[in-house]
Amino acid sequence: MKFATGNIKMAINSIRAARWRSWLTMLGILIGVVSVVTIVSIGEGIKNQVGGQINHLGRDLLTIRPGVINASVSSDLSMLSNLDNSSNSAGLTNNDLQVVRATPHVTSAVPLSIVPGSVKVSGAPSDNNVLVIGTDSDAPAILNENVEYGTFFNSDQYGSNVAVLGNNLAMALFQTSAPLGMSFTFRGQQFIVDGVMNVFDTPPFSLDANFNNAIFIPYPTATQLEDGNAPLYEILTKPSSPKFTNSVDQSITSRLRAAHGGATDFTVLKQSQSQAVTNSILLLLTSLISGIAAISLLVGGVGIMNVMLVSVTERTHEIGIRKAVGATSRQIRSQFVTEAVVLSLAGSLAAIIISVLINLGLRVTTSLQPSLSWQIMLLSVAMALIVGIVFGLAPAVIAARKEPISALRHE
Amino acid sequence: MALVKLTNISKLYGFGDAANVALDEIDLSVDEGEFMAIMGPSGSGKSTLMNIIGLLDRPTHGDYSLGGRNVAKLRPNQRAKIRRDRIGFVFQSFNLLPRLTAIDNVALPLVYRGVSPVRRLKLAGELLERIGLHEREYYMPSQLSGGQTQCVAIARALINDPPIIIADEPTGNLDSAGSRLVMELLSEIHATGTTVLLVTHNPELTRYASRVVYMHDGIIIHDEKTKYGEVAPTARRALYFATHTTEEDDLAGVSALMNAMPSKDAKTKKSAARSKRQKKKVAKPTISRRQNQ
Repeated sequence: MKFATGNIKMAINSIRAARWRSWLTMLGILIGVVSVVTIVSIGEGIKNQVGGQINHLGRDLLTIRPGVINASVSSDLSMLSNLDNSSNSAGLTNNDLQVVRATPHVTSAVPLSIVPGSVKVSGAPSDNNVLVIGTDSDAPAILNENVEYGTFFNSDQYGSNVAVLGNNLAMALFQTSAPLGMSFTFRGQQFIVDGVMNVFDTPPFSLDANFNNAIFIPYPTATQLEDGNAPLYEILTKPSSPKFTNSVDQSITSRLRAAHGGATDFTVLKQSQSQAVTNSILLLLTSLISGIAAISLLVGGVGIMNVMLVSVTERTHEIGIRKAVGATSRQIRSQFVTEAVVLSLAGSLAAIIISVLINLGLRVTTSLQPSLSWQIMLLSVAMALIVGIVFGLAPAVIAARKEPISALRHE
Repeated sequence: MALVKLTNISKLYGFGDAANVALDEIDLSVDEGEFMAIMGPSGSGKSTLMNIIGLLDRPTHGDYSLGGRNVAKLRPNQRAKIRRDRIGFVFQSFNLLPRLTAIDNVALPLVYRGVSPVRRLKLAGELLERIGLHEREYYMPSQLSGGQTQCVAIARALINDPPIIIADEPTGNLDSAGSRLVMELLSEIHATGTTVLLVTHNPELTRYASRVVYMHDGIIIHDEKTKYGEVAPTARRALYFATHTTEEDDLAGVSALMNAMPSKDAKTKKSAARSKRQKKKVAKPTISRRQNQ
């Protein structure tokens, strides 16, 4: 529309005339849009990373953990303490591992047992934050990850003091990327480093143990350290074919229940379930924080209203002149609404550019992989526009209602 | 037929005891092509009358027909459209938008008619060329002399080719050279057949008019035809007295023009109107007080 283009020009003119005020108003909208877009994109990014990890591990991977975990949102937080769950139940033992292995269609079952204790490298203070995990030679296969240097221990080395380091630990403990043949002390015993794992793609805020900071030792060795009974943190297993996932899930459940004397004090998690749990937590968090961010967008809207009201008062004489030369109330109204819309549109477009920059910055400086979707950008720009129209309307109506003669007399 | 026809137009401000009558049952008709000058002291209702004729203001009572159409009771938006298409305003304080260039100011009424930007600039440019301000197109109003500024304002009033131009003391803020420029321009516009209504304090300017109307306290006290190029006879008296204005008169707030006005009582028609007014009990303390003096 011809009038609309003229309006936009007029709006830009008057925004320029009050540069500082307009900039501050835009800032309100800008901060709101930036925070909404960034928070949602971080949430989306984490969701994608979790999904990527699950695909990496394979959708048919089954995780058996001690304790009962309800996959409903209300008990999500119990997942956070799942490392302690073993103490609440009978726990999983070597026996259970054998039961799982004996289940039809199970190709492999890998135990993960956390051995408490601190790791000491000669010439350095002992490190208590290292996770020592007893596992077996199938672990790289089931976790779909290979050693970067050296070799993973095989079944012949069960019982001997060999270790494979998570990628982060090589540097942290030995200050070299491939400390093959070097040794450390763990619970009074000397362990030789046999290999270093590739980097595990661990999503941020993951509820699982971070294998990059773990040392893998053979499960039989761990059993010896724990005097014959190392409780299992979890058992990872895969069916021979993905189509058996559900049936294997059911038969493992019934067999383990029988082995535990009819008690269901363990949980079999399919990947889809653990994804659902992560996603529901993320959704909760993301919607909460973006709700707060949306409030700042609202505050930005109030800023627009304030600026427009001042502008209307300041420009009463101008409104009078425009009405005298034949502007209808509607035309005056749309002029002021256009101004509000231009303000919020400019603010939200600048916000999109800043969001993209923040996104890049996060990708470079942190392990986050925020994903900026055009949907969320469009949505937040639309939101900003609606805020602009809604909050620009009241001052515009006030401007349009002015009587031409009294507006002309106003100086 | 009369272009502007006012019947019993009154304008009151305030209510009750504070009521102030700005226009008191004015009857006036202006024919097409007239150059009417309206004179009178400050507060006599000249500007109120112009604002009502220009549809900027509404009368409290009375009928107003513009070009045969009753416009007294129109809605604000319809009034805006009539202002846009049929009336051009020229104000004492120019009332140009300070942030727009001369050509954009001239083109402003076209914006509200939905004319395309290119055509707007073309029309406005042609008009500025016609009034000899072609080189000043892209000057801001603050960069123009007073006379030029008022000429730009007149161009704005003309852009929609309205049948009526209302000029409310267009020379009030101008020096004599600027006044001359503006009055010559208004006179040329009148020559093309446009009706011009001019409010002025300056009796000299009645030279350009074909008719002079004198107002006092909201009523028309005298109405005369004049010849082009001559100061109207009644106004000439004001001009004569103006040179003899005493300090006492000034202090008393009585302008020379008011002293020079023909006696109100001489107008039998108007005194009849006044007695009618008294019957209606529209209290006008200001008038009676002045009569007592």
